[in-house]
Amino acid sequence: METSIWDYFSSFFERGVFIYGMTMLLAYALLAILSYIAINRFRKKEQYTDYSQLTSSTLAPGISVIAPAFNEAVTIIQNVRSLLTLNYSRYEVIIVNDGSTDETLQKLIDEFDLVHVDFAYNEKIKSKPVRRIFKSSNTAYEKLVVIDKENGKSKADASNAGINVASFNYFLCTDVDCIIEKDTLIKMIQPFMSEEGRKIKEVGEPCPECGYVHVIEDNKRVIATGATLRIANSSDIEDGVLVRMRPPKHWIPRFQEMEYIRSYVLGKMGWSMINCVPNVSGGLGLFDKEIAIKAGGYDPLSFGEDMDLVTRMCAYMRDNKQKYAVRYIPSTQCWTEGPPNLKVFGRQRTRWGRGLIQIITIHKKILFNPRYGRLGLVVFPYNFLFEFLAPIIEFCGILYYIYILITGQINVQNALVLLLFVYLYSVMITTISLFWDQLVNRNYKTWAEVFGLSLMAFLEPIIYHPLIVFFALRGYYYFITGQKHVWGNMQRQGFGQAPKK
Amino acid sequence: MPDILPVNETGEGFTIPYFDQWMAMPVIIRVAVVFIGISTIFILYIQFRIWFTRYKGYLLNKRVEKVVPVIDALIAEEIFMKSETGQKGAPHINFDAFRIPLFANHKNKQILIDRLINYRRSFSGSIGNHFKQLYLELGLDKLSTKKMNRRSWNMKVRGIRELTGMDVSISDVNILPLTNSKRHELRTEARNAYIKLSKNEPFKFFDISSEPLLDWDQIELFKTITTTENIAIPNFARWVTYSNNKSIISFCLKLIVHYNQQDAAPAVIKLLETKDHILRAEAINCLGKLKYEPAEAQLRHIYSNQPLNCQLEILKAIGRMSTGESAQFLRQEFMYSTDFDIRKNAAMSFVRNASPEYIDELMEASNDENKLILKHSMNPLIKY
Repeated sequence: METSIWDYFSSFFERGVFIYGMTMLLAYALLAILSYIAINRFRKKEQYTDYSQLTSSTLAPGISVIAPAFNEAVTIIQNVRSLLTLNYSRYEVIIVNDGSTDETLQKLIDEFDLVHVDFAYNEKIKSKPVRRIFKSSNTAYEKLVVIDKENGKSKADASNAGINVASFNYFLCTDVDCIIEKDTLIKMIQPFMSEEGRKIKEVGEPCPECGYVHVIEDNKRVIATGATLRIANSSDIEDGVLVRMRPPKHWIPRFQEMEYIRSYVLGKMGWSMINCVPNVSGGLGLFDKEIAIKAGGYDPLSFGEDMDLVTRMCAYMRDNKQKYAVRYIPSTQCWTEGPPNLKVFGRQRTRWGRGLIQIITIHKKILFNPRYGRLGLVVFPYNFLFEFLAPIIEFCGILYYIYILITGQINVQNALVLLLFVYLYSVMITTISLFWDQLVNRNYKTWAEVFGLSLMAFLEPIIYHPLIVFFALRGYYYFITGQKHVWGNMQRQGFGQAPKK
Repeated sequence: MPDILPVNETGEGFTIPYFDQWMAMPVIIRVAVVFIGISTIFILYIQFRIWFTRYKGYLLNKRVEKVVPVIDALIAEEIFMKSETGQKGAPHINFDAFRIPLFANHKNKQILIDRLINYRRSFSGSIGNHFKQLYLELGLDKLSTKKMNRRSWNMKVRGIRELTGMDVSISDVNILPLTNSKRHELRTEARNAYIKLSKNEPFKFFDISSEPLLDWDQIELFKTITTTENIAIPNFARWVTYSNNKSIISFCLKLIVHYNQQDAAPAVIKLLETKDHILRAEAINCLGKLKYEPAEAQLRHIYSNQPLNCQLEILKAIGRMSTGESAQFLRQEFMYSTDFDIRKNAAMSFVRNASPEYIDELMEASNDENKLILKHSMNPLIKY
């Protein structure tokens, strides 16, 4: 009897994993096709858009750039200078000093002639108390606002304070140590302004108070846009400007660079094509402030605050029966410093794993719920099945593999063929994403650099992927056992700084 | 003829090597083997495409590096030097100097077109006209027109862009239908071209436009209108009054502000009766930016019936008008509104409308939060 139950289980597991695996492979193939279409459309459009002509337009909507900073004294001046020189007519830069214990604030005060101002702070979203708000007495830095607040132990809390101070209807959230391309704001605001099909619909009877028939905009409102992020660990940076892009030399950031290209250029662009973008990266995202506030802003307790915000914004739109879109552009607009070693990398990925399970738990009502449209039937199920469950299924699969190997139930030849198939398929998908990237971003100077990076695709399934699975499972474990999260320090080298000896 | 297929041991017919082994494999494994082959070929192919795409880019750069100096040298010799030598009347440009075998190649011809457009954009006056003349003499406009007549929208856009860049007129019959194209990019380009090239009625397409003028299109079109020289600017009140296309009305309101068309204000005031509160807010914004004082009393009058976005625009508009007549109204809103944004905007407009004594008095009467809002509004370092 025991044997037959086991047989039943193993048959179910094998068939289940087979269907699961094939669906995942098909999803990747579909994303590759969709992203190709999206990238080609973008390329054609971009060919005829002179962004430099439009950056000075008085009609362009204002944007508040929000960059939280915690103990960034080493690089803060250079980073803020870089943010102040973006090519756009109407924007402000809001630096949120999140209770730094180093000289971050003092350096800002000295460098930018900051003075304390009586600022009417309106707390639309909860955050830790704001102590002071500074503006520059030097007109050259009139775009700069610096908030000094109590440490909220998360980027989300600092970002919320920034949103409360933001003057404009759109805000760009970034990390203060990211290097942003000069044309980022105009490129990222474009999807907000060029969503087609704007129709205005009159609804209901005339309002008894004012006599007007109120109207609603029956258009798809773009609520967030994202752009491609890249790892700049081995690139040359001068005065906050990236002058020579190179693939990272160290293997951990190098794998991440490859992963980022696949995730943004192939994954996010594919999802953007069918309006199913699951997440806008915390490193660079432009948001509709009104909707972000109505959705409650960032959750300071979330480990995946960026994905959580996008999910809540989408859910808000669905709850209020408004059409929405979250868009991505494939061009590289932001360069960030990736975790340089396994320890920091592990901490980051554990947090991401923890964030994912937290989001799935918090928003479980959305999962497979037709009321939430694509969010409930595509975005969330995909995240649940192929992002959240994948490490668990993979881990179980490895255990099962070992078991059938030991008990001699495996046909080694067939198993090797299947392994080779999956391996080459994954290499193929990564290689395709590198090609898509080459179509739109010619960041590397030589072909050899691209080729060198593409070779990492052959090592990824053996070295990098098992690490990701391990850290994700660790994140789930920490979440389930309620282990306290230690944020730790990223120990950034800082761009353009002399390496520490 | 020799046998190419081996005879099996029993001598019964022919066999294909490994065929039996292949057939003995489970279907899944056979499919996997096929996909292994496909994946391998695809990986190699993609690697080749990456190399080829980059190599093509490299060749194009090489070509540009080779052709552009030739173009520049010819232009320097034939256009700049002859214009500088101060010949009386128009200098004689030898266009034949440009008819060299190098430009027989269509890729080089394209580089020449792009270069001429670049020069044309950088130089105005007679020198700029020489580039246009050269473009026409070499028959390059025919190539651009051919592109415009192609089926693919991006080639059409390219052709329009080239002709517009060289200020070569396009007949209304060809361009007007494109201003209403379903393809957004083509529509935008055609509208920009029409504004630039139409000598009589550059804004005629406003009359026929049924497709929306997206916010992004408005930015591009605004740039074209405000930077095109010798353009006949009409009174935009015409479309504010008669157009059925709300996006055209919205765009005209922005143009009215830019050209400070005070005589359009009555038409804008009529728009305060529109049902669309988004458009109404834009009309209020327009009146404020025009500083059209006769509308102030009406704005105060309709204020209490308006949704929040219109109320905020009214407060801003009154602030911009700065007549001082609405100080009491603004004080009232500042003191008694429960909405933070209303109080902030009322305060900002109040400090622009009221006397210093009146502001001091209000400061005295305010609670701590309102005091902070007033200080915020009075601080010259804070703009918003």
